[in-house]
Amino acid sequence: MMRHSSEGSVLGPSTRITGRISGEGAIRVEGGLKGDVSVSGPAEIAEGASVEGSVHAESLEIAGSLLGDAVTRGPIAVRAGAVVRGDLRGSEISIEPGSRVSVRLDTQVELDLGAPRRR
Amino acid sequence: MAGTVIGEGLSIEGDVSSEEEVVVQGNLRGKLTTTDAVSVGSSAVIEADVSAQSLTIAGQVTGDVTAAERVDLQAGGRLIGDVKASRLTIADGASFKGNVDMDV
Amino acid sequence: MNGSVIGRGTVVRGNVRGTGSLEIFGRVEGDVSVSGELVLGEESAVKGSVSGSHITVSGAVQGDVRGSEAVLLERGARVVGDLTAPRIGVATGALVKGLVRTDGEPALGAPRRAATGGARPMAFPARPAAPAPKPAERAEPREESESDAPPPMKEPKAAREAPPPPVVPALAKGAKAKKKKRED
Repeated sequence: MMRHSSEGSVLGPSTRITGRISGEGAIRVEGGLKGDVSVSGPAEIAEGASVEGSVHAESLEIAGSLLGDAVTRGPIAVRAGAVVRGDLRGSEISIEPGSRVSVRLDTQVELDLGAPRRR
Repeated sequence: MAGTVIGEGLSIEGDVSSEEEVVVQGNLRGKLTTTDAVSVGSSAVIEADVSAQSLTIAGQVTGDVTAAERVDLQAGGRLIGDVKASRLTIADGASFKGNVDMDV
Repeated sequence: MNGSVIGRGTVVRGNVRGTGSLEIFGRVEGDVSVSGELVLGEESAVKGSVSGSHITVSGAVQGDVRGSEAVLLERGARVVGDLTAPRIGVATGALVKGLVRTDGEPALGAPRRAATGGARPMAFPARPAAPAPKPAERAEPREESESDAPPPMKEPKAAREAPPPPVVPALAKGAKAKKKKRED
């Protein structure tokens, strides 16, 4: 069953959805989703939940499983029990030890490997 | 407190250049240059030219050594190479083979 | 315990390897490989691959980082390269560009550049009819959504809705499927 509050939507633990989800607001997935998610607000994949598909959202927190790419404007946080496979792109990406990941991070990194030191 | 310590289990192959004190207890093959002091511990094996402010050798150095101040070759130390320093001491029990230029 | 230090004022151009632990506060242009703990301090810079048992990075690395126990990136770390270890942590504020893979996880396939909306390439002559999910040759299974419209890959803008990708036509006997161009 899908609950919808004024803050956002929740796909409960017993919910299985195959298909695309898109819209305004936040989304919290507690069940299973096969399909892409595209929301304007924050997205959350709860512990025990799984998403097979891409996620586009304002931000993303993953405590469950994500097999697919994620693109966010804001941060992406991978929690300790999460399983994530895919390309992750966000303003800031954090990964807690204890998670199982195989991800590609494409953050803009400027390396200043230093001018030779003055002798 | 030394700035750089190459510990006993460590090997460096390449050039080391520094502005601080360097203590070598492991292996170095290449070149070592610092504006500060170099201390070669008894377990050290260095195959490199060394240039430093001063040098204390208790281990093995094969290479030319240049010091702005002094080179002290301690008992148990072994130096094969030329020395260029304004002061040089070779302790009893040390071993040395090379030329010395104290005209610095 | 064998602790080595490459101090802030030191630059090593060459490889560093050995037993024991190592803290780097200066610069290394070369590979670093120790059997023990490895700490790359805030102002350190390593241009080369890095391996150790437990690796903590707070500085800059251009190269792969491989830990036999763990790789932890602290805030301020900047890594361009792949991270591999049984346990990996990337703190908020650490920047990574590369693959991050905990031991046991399958490697990702080639990067799929996000399509800006358009047809998926048709490739498999054996499959007629409705858009079929791609066979899982890559490690990241992706289910096609039920709708034909391609998911918006950049901002979720409904306005970017492209015409639905052509359905794979049922093939005449003996025909080979043509590989459709990806519309961008």
